[in-house]
Amino acid sequence: MTATSAPARSAPVTSRPGLSTARLLRLELRHNAMLWMMPVAVALFWVTAGRKIMATPPLWSLRAANMRLSAVLAFASPVAGAAAWMGLRESRRRTIDLVNITARPRPARLFATWAATTCWALVAYLACVGVVYGVTAQQATWGGPLWWPAVAAGAALPALTALGFAAGTLVPSRFTAPLVALAAFFVLALSTQLINGSQSYWQVSPIVAWPWELGPDPGVGTFYAYLPDLPIAQVMFLAGLTVAVLGALALPTGAGARSVRRSAVAVTAAGLLAAGTAVALAGTGRLNAHGMIAIPALHDAASDRPLRYTPVCGHTAIPVCLNPAYASYLPATEAALTPVLGQIAGLPGAPARISQAAATYRQEPGNSVGIGLTGPATSGSPPVFRMILPAQLPGPATTASEQASQVRSTIGPSIVASVTGDGPGASRAQHAVTTALLMDARVVPRHLLAPGTPVARNSAPGSALAGGRYVAPPPGSPVFAAAKRFAALPASVRRAWLTRHLAALRAGHIRLGQLP
Amino acid sequence: MNVEITGLTRRFGRTMAVAGVDLRAGPGVFGLLGPNGAGKTSLLRIMATAIPPTSGRLRLLGRDPRSHTPRREIRRRLGYLPQNLGYSGGFTVAEFVEYFALLKEMPAARIPLAVAAAVDRVGLGDRSKARLRTLSGGMLRRVGIAQAIVNDPELLLLDEPTAGLDPEQRMTFRALLRDLGQHATIVVSTHLVEDVGAACAQVALMDQGKIIFHGTPGELTARGAGHDTGDAPLERGYSAVLAAARP
Repeated sequence: MTATSAPARSAPVTSRPGLSTARLLRLELRHNAMLWMMPVAVALFWVTAGRKIMATPPLWSLRAANMRLSAVLAFASPVAGAAAWMGLRESRRRTIDLVNITARPRPARLFATWAATTCWALVAYLACVGVVYGVTAQQATWGGPLWWPAVAAGAALPALTALGFAAGTLVPSRFTAPLVALAAFFVLALSTQLINGSQSYWQVSPIVAWPWELGPDPGVGTFYAYLPDLPIAQVMFLAGLTVAVLGALALPTGAGARSVRRSAVAVTAAGLLAAGTAVALAGTGRLNAHGMIAIPALHDAASDRPLRYTPVCGHTAIPVCLNPAYASYLPATEAALTPVLGQIAGLPGAPARISQAAATYRQEPGNSVGIGLTGPATSGSPPVFRMILPAQLPGPATTASEQASQVRSTIGPSIVASVTGDGPGASRAQHAVTTALLMDARVVPRHLLAPGTPVARNSAPGSALAGGRYVAPPPGSPVFAAAKRFAALPASVRRAWLTRHLAALRAGHIRLGQLP
Repeated sequence: MNVEITGLTRRFGRTMAVAGVDLRAGPGVFGLLGPNGAGKTSLLRIMATAIPPTSGRLRLLGRDPRSHTPRREIRRRLGYLPQNLGYSGGFTVAEFVEYFALLKEMPAARIPLAVAAAVDRVGLGDRSKARLRTLSGGMLRRVGIAQAIVNDPELLLLDEPTAGLDPEQRMTFRALLRDLGQHATIVVSTHLVEDVGAACAQVALMDQGKIIFHGTPGELTARGAGHDTGDAPLERGYSAVLAAARP
């Protein structure tokens, strides 16, 4: 210690707030628990979800929705826990007296610590988003990143850090941080349990990226633009919550001047108002026809227009055309449908093209959602058969061979039935011919069918199949016998008969006994 | 007068920690002596605006700390070293001092020089990049002093500043106190009467929340004449005043 190097005395001058705040933030960034929790959060995300997300088909909607859910859940505990730990710092380090007697208002000091914690959480989150979106950009065949799901999940982090930080500041206990970490996870995970239908206030939960009862839906945002209505309400809720919590931190007596406390009251009230409004808006949401939640007050009608795209088409007897986002499915789809298409190509009334179409969604009572095509499967001139790929429906991810098998067993019978006119009210002859063509295409095994076994399911309302499901005739039945007989004909004979009699068959004028 | 205290009391539940203190102090080093539990730390915390008094009148640097704006002005001109210095072990010496310079709202452009000067003045210039967790107790005490003086305070409140310092450091510290006391009011609470004798122009002795002696170290020494408790003259004065004040 020396008594000779004292700097020249000068009257204290108010600091430039911007530069001082930046320096304070720099210090807080250097000494922040979140810095150490970043690898934990990233590792949790990667171990619990990252690899699974990368294993899903490279569709932007699917990857974005899965990433959002997983990221919020993986980040919740480490982020909220670290924020609570930072909120506890002054009491833990016993520096409360020392920092409270400084000129900088307490809210400004706490805000700097919170901001640094949030910055690191966002850096870790953005790194995860960057990896998932970067890899998806390499793999996806069409489309671009969906930013709203990423923004909504990102907005959850400041809210989590604000809640954790406030808990640590207001309830200084050694148990605060672990309890906050646990509570953050369970509250988020359980927040969706009360969702019932598409008009639920609980949809405001940041982990809801899609109509909750549907699950991650690959088809959403592919044929129609991703609707930002629900994410906007969620961001509004999370921002409001963050502002309200931070405002509340400035409320305690002694936090600053009366004007500061008045501002804090106003900020808290504004935050609560925004959050409450967002919850109310989420409650007015409804499932729209394109599988997304539309909120009337936030809805932009321009978002309902279909996206323009140039389909990718194959070279089968009847071309199969898919949305370019599903281009990677084309070879498997073609391979699965080639036998069926070979049976019907060139026949009168056969479709000129098999084209992938958008699914239509309809909210049904409770948590049920109806998904299918609007209108007849075959329409237009020349006729085009519209299909929904299994890969564009919600459900567990499947392997390429499972996809091919589903295409063969669901879409194949629908295409044949659309040509023969099979379906509700169809004649036994129509059903026999459908079965015969499917037998020859190896879609229906000739000998192994148990009576009444449903081998195909068509999710397209208005298709030719009874009840939306193709049900093979029981072996031994007259229909089965006629189908087997018709399938055994040489292909050229069968084709010649169909060419001559298909119109009559479709009209229901051919009886079972008239089949060759 | 930088410190003007009239009839100041502070109660913690049933305990009267400060019981009607009157005190005035201008520039210079002011020693606050007293046994454990005498109320020195409570009085210092009140002067540091860490806690409000229960009653009485307090003016610091010519301002009333009860109102927000004057309190903020006082705090900009205040340095405080608490009895138990809390710190985050990951901070380096320079970062810790810089942190408090920022909290004291020093002009950002002046901070780097002020931090370096404060760290140098406590003899830690060569350890400015050392993390606090690696420092000894004496070094940490000096870091605490550095953060207290970084804003070149007009009112410096030091609670047991020499605890943990070795004799050489204590001598240097007294020199620093004398230097700072040329411009600022420094209130030093201590058990170590020799610190008071060496550095303080004025001294007050507290017991049971009250000031039972206020004068110069020489006057305190004089009170010890004929008293046999204590090794040094000032200690004997200290013991004599305490004995006289107690029934």
